[in-house]
Amino acid sequence: MSQPHEPRRPRPARWNRRQLLARGGALGAAGFSLPALLAACGDDDDGGASGTGSTTGSTAGGTAAPGTTAAGGTAAGSGEGGELFFENWPEYIDVTEDGLVGTVDRFAEATGIAMRYTDAFSDNVEYFALIQPVLGRGDTIEPDIIAPTSWLAGRLINLGWVDKLPLDQVPNAANLRTDLQNPAWDPTGEYSLPWQTGITGIAYNLDATGRELTSVADLFDPEFKGRIGMLTEMRDTVGLLLNWLGVDQSTLTTFDEAAEAFDRLAQAKADGQIRAFTGNDYLDDLSTGNFAACIGWSGDVVQLSLENPAVRFIIPDEGGNSWADTMVMPKGAANRDQAAKWMDFVYDPVQAAQITAWVQYVSPVAGLQEEVAKLDPELAESPLLFPDEETLARLSTFANLSEDVEAEFDAAFSEITGA
Amino acid sequence: MSEPDPTPWAEDTLTRRAQRGSEWFGLATLLGAGALILAIGMRLVTGALAAVAVVVLVGFVVALIVAAVAGGLEARRRLAPYGLLKPGTLFLVLFYLAPLFSLLRSSLSTLPSRFAVEAEFDWNFGNYGDAFSDFGAQFGRGFLYAGIATVLCVLIGYPLAYVIAFRSGRWRNLLLGLVVVPFFTSYLIRTIAWSSLLADAGPIAGSVRWLHLTGLLEAAQVMDNGRLINTPAAVIGGLTYNFLPFMILPIYVSLEKVSPALVDAAQDLYSSGFRAFRKVVLPLSIPGVFAGTLLTFIPAAGDFVNAEYLGNPNTTMIGNSIQDQFLVQNNVPLASAMSFVLMVIITVAVLIYTTFLGTEELT
Amino acid sequence: MTRAITARGRVGSWALNLVAVVGLVYLFVPIVWIVVFSFNRPNGRYNIVWQRFTLDNWLDPFADADLTDAFQRSLKIAAISTAVAVVLGSMIALALSRYRFRGLAGYNLFLVLPLTTPEVVLGSSLATLFIDWDVTRGFTTVVIAHIMFQVSFVALTVRARVRGFDWTLEQAAQDLGASPLVTFRRVTFPLILPGVLAAALLSFALSIDDFIITLFNAGSETTFPLYINGSFRVQFPPQANVLATVVLLVSVALMLFGVLRSIRRKATAR
Repeated sequence: MSQPHEPRRPRPARWNRRQLLARGGALGAAGFSLPALLAACGDDDDGGASGTGSTTGSTAGGTAAPGTTAAGGTAAGSGEGGELFFENWPEYIDVTEDGLVGTVDRFAEATGIAMRYTDAFSDNVEYFALIQPVLGRGDTIEPDIIAPTSWLAGRLINLGWVDKLPLDQVPNAANLRTDLQNPAWDPTGEYSLPWQTGITGIAYNLDATGRELTSVADLFDPEFKGRIGMLTEMRDTVGLLLNWLGVDQSTLTTFDEAAEAFDRLAQAKADGQIRAFTGNDYLDDLSTGNFAACIGWSGDVVQLSLENPAVRFIIPDEGGNSWADTMVMPKGAANRDQAAKWMDFVYDPVQAAQITAWVQYVSPVAGLQEEVAKLDPELAESPLLFPDEETLARLSTFANLSEDVEAEFDAAFSEITGA
Repeated sequence: MSEPDPTPWAEDTLTRRAQRGSEWFGLATLLGAGALILAIGMRLVTGALAAVAVVVLVGFVVALIVAAVAGGLEARRRLAPYGLLKPGTLFLVLFYLAPLFSLLRSSLSTLPSRFAVEAEFDWNFGNYGDAFSDFGAQFGRGFLYAGIATVLCVLIGYPLAYVIAFRSGRWRNLLLGLVVVPFFTSYLIRTIAWSSLLADAGPIAGSVRWLHLTGLLEAAQVMDNGRLINTPAAVIGGLTYNFLPFMILPIYVSLEKVSPALVDAAQDLYSSGFRAFRKVVLPLSIPGVFAGTLLTFIPAAGDFVNAEYLGNPNTTMIGNSIQDQFLVQNNVPLASAMSFVLMVIITVAVLIYTTFLGTEELT
Repeated sequence: MTRAITARGRVGSWALNLVAVVGLVYLFVPIVWIVVFSFNRPNGRYNIVWQRFTLDNWLDPFADADLTDAFQRSLKIAAISTAVAVVLGSMIALALSRYRFRGLAGYNLFLVLPLTTPEVVLGSSLATLFIDWDVTRGFTTVVIAHIMFQVSFVALTVRARVRGFDWTLEQAAQDLGASPLVTFRRVTFPLILPGVLAAALLSFALSIDDFIITLFNAGSETTFPLYINGSFRVQFPPQANVLATVVLLVSVALMLFGVLRSIRRKATAR
C-alpha cells in the first residue's frame, strides 16, 4: 500500500545500504571458519590459558624457510616424567636441524619430561613489567624457569619473588665456573644458576660502514648519522659509553658519576645519530644495513656472521661489557624436580658443549674447551667463546646499584630512549 | 522525517499529567540506577553499603518493570524507552564513566615502593607536575602530528567524499564500500605494510632515489638522512592513512544531504563552479567536516602504534609514553595522570572548537 | 545542464577527479600490499621484503601455531562481545529512534563520548578500574572492554539506519490485533535487522582488529593484534598476511552478499 508523499531524500545513513546482510551473515562467517580452524590445528581448546600445550614432540613452523628457527616455541617429550616450562631469550639454545638433535629434544628423550621452551624474553624491563603485576600480588606465573639478566635476577631475589633452586638435586652445578660462584647479585648462590654469559661490544655491517670499526667513538661518527642502533638494555649501552669516557662502571654508586655518559647519549639521540633503541631485535636491521653499526651481544652477532660474513663483532678498544643471563625459578613454580633435572642436564659438559657450539656464547660451565674442540676445533680457539686472560682484562661488569640509584639511572635512560 | 513516537498527544490535562509523570518516573529510575552503579564502580560505597546499593539498584529496575506492566498501554509506551536504555546505559556507566573516575583517583595516588603493585590514594598532585615537566614534548608532538594528519585528511578526504557524493552516479555504493574496506583489515598490519613500503630497500624509497628527489624531500623535512621510514613524516603519513576513512564518511554523509538541484541552482547563480562550491556546498558540509576532524584528531592524538612502527626515538608521542609508563615502567599513577591530562586537553579543545562551529550533531 | 562549461571549469573538474582517484588508490596501497605479501616467501623471519612468489602460505595458513591460537582467541572474543553489544546497542538505538522522551539530547552526547575519547584513555582508564577492583586482567576483561566501545558504535549505526522509518507500521499491526510481542517479531525486528547485521559485521571486524584498548586490558591473554605486536621483535610471518586477507575477503563477501540481496529485493518489489 503506497501513499503519495514527497520524493524520498536519500537517507542520511552513516553506513549505507551497502552494509545490508543476509540473516546471521556475520555470525555465519564466524561459525563456519571456527570449526575449520579448530580441526586444522588439533589444539585442545582450554579456553583460558594462552599458548599451545601439545605434548607431541614437534618443532613449530615446519614449513618455514631453511635457516629460520621456530620463534613460537618448542614442545617436546612424552610427558611421563612430568612437565617443565622454560622461558628464555631468542636464539639461545641449539635446535633440532641439519641432522643434529637439539638440547630440548635430547633432554625430553633422556628424561621423558614434557618440555615447553619459549623465547619470549626480548628485553629485561619489558619482561619484568609482565611478571610484576602477577608476582607482586603473590600469584604464580606459568614458567618454571626463566632466564633474566643478572641485575634483574638480583632484583627478583631482593623482592623475594624467586624460590631457592633445588641445587641438592643438581650435582653438575659443581661444574660452574669459579668466577661465577656466589656472585654479587646472588651472594648465597642459592637462587640462581647462570645459563650463558656473554660480551657486549660493537656489531657492524662492513658493507654498510665501508670500513672496519674499532672504538665506541665510531658509533658517534657523523658519517653514520641515522644508522646507529643502541640497546634498550641500560647497563650495556651506558656501560660501553662509560668505558669510553674512562669511568669505571664496576664501582658506580651515584648517578652523577655517570651523568656525562647520559648527556652524550641524549645529545646523540637529539642529533638523530641513533636510529633506534632495540632489544634483541637489532640483528635483522644489522643484516639489512638499516644499522651500519650497533651495540650488540657477542653470540648473536657471531651466529649472524656465519650467515652474513659482512657482519662483524668487535670488543671496542676502550673495553667491552661482560654479563650473565641466569636461571631462576619464580616463586611458586611447580615442577621443581623437573627443573633440577634440566639444570643438571645442561651443566653436563657434553650437553653444555653442544649448546655453546650453537649459541656461540661463553658457557658458565668450566673446562668446556675440550668438549667443544671435539665438535668444532676452530670454535674452541675463539677468544669470544673462551676468552683468555687478555680479553677478560678488557671486560667490565656493571656495578650493583641500590634501588634508589637504579631508579635514577632508569629514569634518565627512559627519558632518552623516548618512551 | 516521520515522527518517531506515534502516540497522539493526550487531549485532556489529566492524562497528559499522567504521561509526564510516567516520563519523570522512567527517567528517575534510569538516572538512579546509573548513579548507583557509578558509585559502586568507583568504590565510593564498599562492603555492606555496596550490598545495599545493589539492592536499591535492582529495586529501581524492578520498579520500572512493574510500573510498565501494571500501568497499561500508555504507561508502557512512555516507560519503554527507559527500559530499553537501561541495560546498555548501565554497562556504559560501569565500564566507561566509572573507569574515568578510577583513572582520576589513580592519578592522585602514590606507589609505596618502586615495584609495588598497589598505589595508595593520597591526593598526590605531584603526578600531574611530573606529567607536564617530563612529558611536555610528547604531548606537544602528539597534538602536532595529529593536527597535521587531520589537515592532510581533510585535503585528501574532502575531494574524495565530494566526488562520491556528486559525481559517482551508479558507482556510489561501490565507492563507499571501497572506502570502508580498510576497516576490515588489521590496523596493526596496515601500519606494518607502510613500514615495508617505506623501508630503505622498498619501492617508494627506491623510486625517490631514482627520480633524484632525495634532496628536495630532505629539504622539505620529509626524508631524513636519505630514509623515508623512522621519520616524523612517516609517522604523520601513517596517522593520515589510518584515519582517512573517519574523515571521508562524515563529510560524505553531510554532502549527501545536499540535493543536486541545489548544486545546480548554485552553479547557475555563480559564474564559476568553484564559487558555487564555496558559497553553497561548503557551508552545508561544515557539520561533516567538523565531525570528521574530531573523529580523526582525537584518536590520532593518543595513538602510539604509528610512532612505534614508523618513527624514531625523537618522534615519540604522548600515547607511547602513556603506554610505556603504564605497561612497562608499571608506574600506574603517573600514566593515569598523563592519560587524564590528555583527555582534559582534548575535551577542552573540542569544546572550544564546538563553540566556533556550533553544536552540531556528531552523528 | 545547459550552462556552458568553461575550460577552467573543465580542468578544475578533471583535477578534482584526479585527486579523488589518487585518494582512493592511496587508501588501497597497503591493502594490496597485505594481500600480495601473503604470497611472499621471505628469506628470514620478517615478511617485509619481497623474495619470491609461493602458494605455501595459503596452503598452510595455520603453520604458526601461536599465531593461529591468537587468531582463534580473537574470533572468540569478537563473537561474544559482538553478540552482547548488538543486543545492548540495538535496544538503545530503538529507544532513541522510536521514542521521544526526556533526556534524549543529553543521552546522545553520553552515547557519543566513548567514540570521541582516545583509545589510550579508554584502555588505561578501564585498566585502572580493574586494578582497583583487584580483577586479574585477561579474557573476560578484554571481552568487557570490547563490548564497551562496541555498544556506542552499534547504537549509533543502527539508529542511523533506522531513522526515517515509518513507525506507524507498528501501530497498524497492533490495530490489526497483534500483541506487542508479535508486533516486534513480525514487524519491528525484520525492519531493523539489516541495520543490526550491518552494525554487527562492522563491530565484529573492529573487535578482531582492536589493539590499543586490548593491550591495556589483556593481562597475559593474547589476541591476534597483540601477538603480532609482541612477536614483531622476532618475526612477522606471512601467515599473518594470510589470516588478515581471509578476514578481509569474508567481510567483503558478506557485504557484497547483502548488497546483492537488497538489489534483488528492490527489483522484486517493483
